[in-house]
Amino acid sequence: MTAMLGLNQHGGGRPLRSRPPAGLGWVGQPRLLRGIASRDLTSYAEHLGEHGPRPTLTREALLAQLDAVALAGRGGAGFSLAAKIRSLRSGPDARPVVVVNGCEGEPASAKDAALLTRVPHLVLDGALAAAAALYPDAAVYPDAALDAGRALDPGRVLIAVSSPSVAAAVQRAVAARPDSPRFQTHLLPERYITGEARALISALNGGAATPPGRRVLPSESGVGGQPTLLSNAETFAQLAYLTRVGPAGFAEVGTRREPGTTLLTVSGAVARPGVMEVALGTPLSAVAEAVGAEPARAVVIGGYHGGWLSEQTLRSGPVPISRAGLGAVGATLGAGAVMFLGVDTCALGELTRVAQWLADQSAKNCGPCAFGLPALVQDLLALNGGSAGPAGPAGAAGPVGPVGSAGLAALDRHARMVAGRGACSHPDGAVRFLSSGLAALADEVRDHQAHGGCGRPVQGDLPL
Amino acid sequence: MRTATSHEAAAVGAGSLRIDWTRCDGHGHCAALLPRAITLDDWGYPMIDAAAVGDEHLSDVKRAVSACPSLALRLER
Ligand code: SF4
Ligand code: SF4
Repeated sequence: MTAMLGLNQHGGGRPLRSRPPAGLGWVGQPRLLRGIASRDLTSYAEHLGEHGPRPTLTREALLAQLDAVALAGRGGAGFSLAAKIRSLRSGPDARPVVVVNGCEGEPASAKDAALLTRVPHLVLDGALAAAAALYPDAAVYPDAALDAGRALDPGRVLIAVSSPSVAAAVQRAVAARPDSPRFQTHLLPERYITGEARALISALNGGAATPPGRRVLPSESGVGGQPTLLSNAETFAQLAYLTRVGPAGFAEVGTRREPGTTLLTVSGAVARPGVMEVALGTPLSAVAEAVGAEPARAVVIGGYHGGWLSEQTLRSGPVPISRAGLGAVGATLGAGAVMFLGVDTCALGELTRVAQWLADQSAKNCGPCAFGLPALVQDLLALNGGSAGPAGPAGAAGPVGPVGSAGLAALDRHARMVAGRGACSHPDGAVRFLSSGLAALADEVRDHQAHGGCGRPVQGDLPL
Repeated sequence: MRTATSHEAAAVGAGSLRIDWTRCDGHGHCAALLPRAITLDDWGYPMIDAAAVGDEHLSDVKRAVSACPSLALRLER
């Protein structure tokens, strides 16, 4: 995908800057990542040494704790975990299923993989705490009675991942636990859409890893037709931490409305890319300092369904990393991916590369998504103006002339034909990302329109 | 770029007229039967104008629903 027609590419054959985020770090005190520097937390004994034993809570006690700290899902939507639990269908035949969503199909996000490979027992403890609270009989149901071949024994926790190496790490961690029969690991296709709740449940039920066309709620009918609590790996790790320290301990950091910490995956024009744990409310500038960010032209936050912060927004005051703080500047926390765009990259070209990736990720089951996203890519390529062209002698690929405002009008029209028109939120998220980017890059778009380009190469600050 | 219009659904009677995007093949029969309420996008897929569909169109809507060869157009409750 590096040789996209008409797109700014760097001329000298320098490698793109993006690479998989490497390190683990934090601003302030780590919680989920606590002890990681001195212990091997993939060992169950070391994990217990660091965090202590896992408390078992009743459903009511668990809900009270979740309510007290307003724990929100860390997979993207930021939905209240307590509300999710309360929405589960009940009744005599309901056997709630707990699913850990560890399918991190977004190249800019690596925090769930980091948790599942480096501190897996915190995630597993949290999921088991939820399962035991939802289905208390499971707490006394002997592990030996679980049937290894069957996913749906009462109180079983399913862990869905889409990376073979993460799956192997989870299986090693599970095997090291005395309660290992409680867990079952599922390796699903490595695609963006796999992580979508209903696609994931369809895959766990033996179907395709794509969302069904009909609106079915996992809380009503999920895995095996049972009410299913599906949440992101980090959400369960936060839950495990909460049950150990209680709401007061949990709320020692963070904001009043959003207590606790969150994991970010930071990449782009930074010296030390990686997964960072920060208290909610931490200013973006503190994160930038911790990772050694270059002065940024823009910051993308919340991943490739998320939004862009313009240079102007970044200059106009502190941006707190919290759902409220980001909402105030028109962005979302999403799954916590943060990408810094350097001043030396063609940001419109970066946006267009990601648009191509988003179009490639469409499951192509729904017409407007299958045809509309590629149409948006073509519109964006036209807007890029074919400035630098794929690697050639400097100056050889000159401006092709002004594009004019027709380009933006076509984009606008196609965007309205794509948003909201699919079986899942992929077209919505893609359009949100693209429109927010075009708004944040208005000056650069004008440059491209007037001069057929900006003269800067695409550095790959947005990882693919 | 705006994202406000979703062309997604329209309330008719007690139900809501929706398209199952995983099934719709863009045949366009629905647009032919409900020309005011449904237009086609650049790729031939239906766009529902919620403002142009009302309870008085219920029988036309039902006819369009049963004419959809892919069972994609639905009146969901
Ligand atoms: S909206 Fe797009 S990504 Fe989602 S199911 Fe339909 S085709 Fe697949
Ligand atoms: S008739 Fe059915 S398949 Fe054809 S465009 Fe309309 S909804 Fe889609």
